[in-house]
Amino acid sequence: MAKSRTLVRIALFLALLALILTACGGQTETVGEPEAEAEPAAQEEAAPAATEAPAEEDDDMTMEPIKIGALAPLSAPGAVVGGEAMRDAMLIAADELNARGGILGRPVELIIVDTEGLPERGTAVVERLINQDGVVGIGGGYHSSVGVAAKEVARDNGVPIVFAETWNDTITSVQYDEIFRIAPLSSEVSAVDVKFIQWLRDENGMKLDKVVILTENTDYGIPAAENTTALLEGAGIDSVTFSVDIGTQDFAGIIERVKAESPDLIVTLATGEASYNFTQQAADAGIGPQDVPTMCNQVSLVSDAFWENVPDGNNCFVRRIGLPVQLYNDVAQALVAEYAERTGKDDIESYAMASYDSIMLIAQAIEDSGSTDPADIIDALENIEHMGALGPITFPVNRANTPEQAGVDPKWWHQFPDPAITIVQYQVEGQAAVDTTVVYPSTYQTGDPVIVGQE
Amino acid sequence: MENAAIFGWALLWILFWGALGGVVTPRIYARKDLEISQASFGGAVIGAALGPLSLFPLWVATPKITNRLIGIGIALVVGLFVAAFALADPDNLCVVNGSFVVSQLTNGIVIGIIYGLMALGLTLIFSILGVVSFAHGEFYMIGGMVTYFITARWLPGVSPFIAILGSCIVTFAIGYVFERLFLRPMGSGKIERPTEYAILVTFGLAFFLQYFTQALTSAVPVKAQRFFPFPRTEIPADSGALLSMTPGNITILDAISVPNPRFTAAVLALIMLAALLWFLFRTWVGKALRAVSQDRQAAAVTGINPDTMNTLAFSLGAMLAGLSGASLVQVFSWLPQVGIPAAARSFVIVVLGGMGSLPGAFLGGLIVGLVEAAGTGCIPDATRAASYMPAYGMVILTLVLLLKPTGLFGREL
Repeated sequence: MAKSRTLVRIALFLALLALILTACGGQTETVGEPEAEAEPAAQEEAAPAATEAPAEEDDDMTMEPIKIGALAPLSAPGAVVGGEAMRDAMLIAADELNARGGILGRPVELIIVDTEGLPERGTAVVERLINQDGVVGIGGGYHSSVGVAAKEVARDNGVPIVFAETWNDTITSVQYDEIFRIAPLSSEVSAVDVKFIQWLRDENGMKLDKVVILTENTDYGIPAAENTTALLEGAGIDSVTFSVDIGTQDFAGIIERVKAESPDLIVTLATGEASYNFTQQAADAGIGPQDVPTMCNQVSLVSDAFWENVPDGNNCFVRRIGLPVQLYNDVAQALVAEYAERTGKDDIESYAMASYDSIMLIAQAIEDSGSTDPADIIDALENIEHMGALGPITFPVNRANTPEQAGVDPKWWHQFPDPAITIVQYQVEGQAAVDTTVVYPSTYQTGDPVIVGQE
Repeated sequence: MENAAIFGWALLWILFWGALGGVVTPRIYARKDLEISQASFGGAVIGAALGPLSLFPLWVATPKITNRLIGIGIALVVGLFVAAFALADPDNLCVVNGSFVVSQLTNGIVIGIIYGLMALGLTLIFSILGVVSFAHGEFYMIGGMVTYFITARWLPGVSPFIAILGSCIVTFAIGYVFERLFLRPMGSGKIERPTEYAILVTFGLAFFLQYFTQALTSAVPVKAQRFFPFPRTEIPADSGALLSMTPGNITILDAISVPNPRFTAAVLALIMLAALLWFLFRTWVGKALRAVSQDRQAAAVTGINPDTMNTLAFSLGAMLAGLSGASLVQVFSWLPQVGIPAAARSFVIVVLGGMGSLPGAFLGGLIVGLVEAAGTGCIPDATRAASYMPAYGMVILTLVLLLKPTGLFGREL
């Protein structure tokens, strides 16, 4: 009896261990590894062009894959909702590349790693991607603090990273050859935010004397809040900034202080789950988006998760990066269709779109250079003209046209100059992100803003 | 802070005389062959409160240092601290806005009650098994997840009480099975280094539960809807000056404002606490549990099976964590990793209150809740007030451990 119990315990312990290892191992996902049987079928199904390729190219698809790394926050305290969206989009990119015959006739292996939104974790996973997995380029990336840390590893190893959603200005202003970015600059986003706030005041007659900014104490949140504060001051608007740790849950104390400030508008720069927690707890306390005009964080555009976590979030203004839906190009439309099929979402988040583009940019750079040497890929990226889901992507400020020569701030180094930024508003409870009203700028406007709390 | 020097000098006064009292008093009491167990802590708080005005009479008269004397000392220290703060920063919201202060205190008490409930589970496990469960945060997470899935996915519209009961059953069952399979061998002497074994095996459980839940539910945050939305009410009807309720909030006397989810979570926690106290003090099994926690061998002599009590204690402790999670899943967005900060806070509370002390755990929860609320509300720098939140409990813990290494209600070794 005692023996059988011991055996049961051992068996259960082994099962437990196996599950833990499986779960931990699940933090890295790979796709596109050569599978002798599955791949030809995928090619036939998804890419007619690939079926017409010569037989020797089909053989090449069984060659060693080209490895591309992908960064996404897939567990807390990172913005998991955003990370999962990015992961899905990057998987689509890898599948598309393989379906059309890979790159240089070789299959693409996408290695997705979980940054958890933590710089130390970001450094570790980029180190591993480069030195253990042997990737030739890296895409994705959500948190600025991860980007700030990871760029040093990329520089030390000479491997390019195309950042998709890291906004901190210094990521590009340090002018590393290896670092490219298709996300907007934090300072430019702050400028749009403040222009929108001024527009609310000047064109819509909204009372706007004081703004409360809720930010996170990260490499994204602090500079973003400082930029916004400075620009608001220039516009004659007072502001108070409250800063919290990434992943903060309990905002009760801060919300009482926000209340005491009697703000005319609240700007939420805190990302991920913290932004959901703050917005709903503020709503419970009577200063939510239905009581005080509130700019919610862009993670609110994941509408299913937003409405589940912030049921009182109607009237949130949300900053949206990328062109409005009606201006999507063919690449974006195809991506949205595939994304909808895989995830069931009506619209694609801007950072998912940018993540897709980041992988496709690296792929085109490899094709253009005809090489998997990171140095050649960097050269190709500097000269690239890529039609992505975000539109035509180039990096006009580079080694051949330095910031000094171009007469621009160093932050424009290897920076995609044209990410469109709009402000949308949820105007119906439970609304899908794709149906939100574009309220700013007037060029893209689809409706007037609903301004709450005005007497 | 306008007059930071005033606050700085007051702090210096408190620290200097507190340290002097804490060091010298036990020596004087020892020289006179008097009881010294409370001398260091008592001397420190009495010295910090009034400095030489109280210390010298204490050293001369050497009265018995009672809990009452310590209580008066603590009240005076808090009073001195608050007065210095008010003089140093006269425009601070915590000084000029009574409604704000009451709201912050209420928030602190409300969250402190829930912290206390969770920490009670941890201390119950420690007091009986002598094991620190590193999986406590994961039981908290599972309690919330089960409640969410029952109310939102599996049985939408069902009473939240059913969902909470479901959480209790699931967490109790996991705790039961785990204790029987992995902790029971410790008691039979089969494990060579039981302390290290307990740490490792509960850590393993924590990882397993976290990632297993993530595999089942994904890492996208979820949240249960308010359990009991308030009816819209105003008393008196025209002004609501006495009581005003909206579905999401209750305001009392136009001053105390508590969001609905927190209010209901705290009420649920209080009910659970009352039930737990009744169970521990009024039932035979509860008394048996307490007996085992006091003296395992003596309890065994009276016919109580310590192994059964171990299993019950671990299962109950897990269930209490699950209950806390079930109460709070309507307050916070819920993720598989949501238990990590909650568990860290519970460890602080348990050590602060005294390892194994049930009243200590509850009082520790209240203290941490209040200190966090005060720190977040009163620290003048808005960019730092909330960022320091995890540190507030640690500061109090450090101070208490310096003066009373066994914690507030810990047993003397």
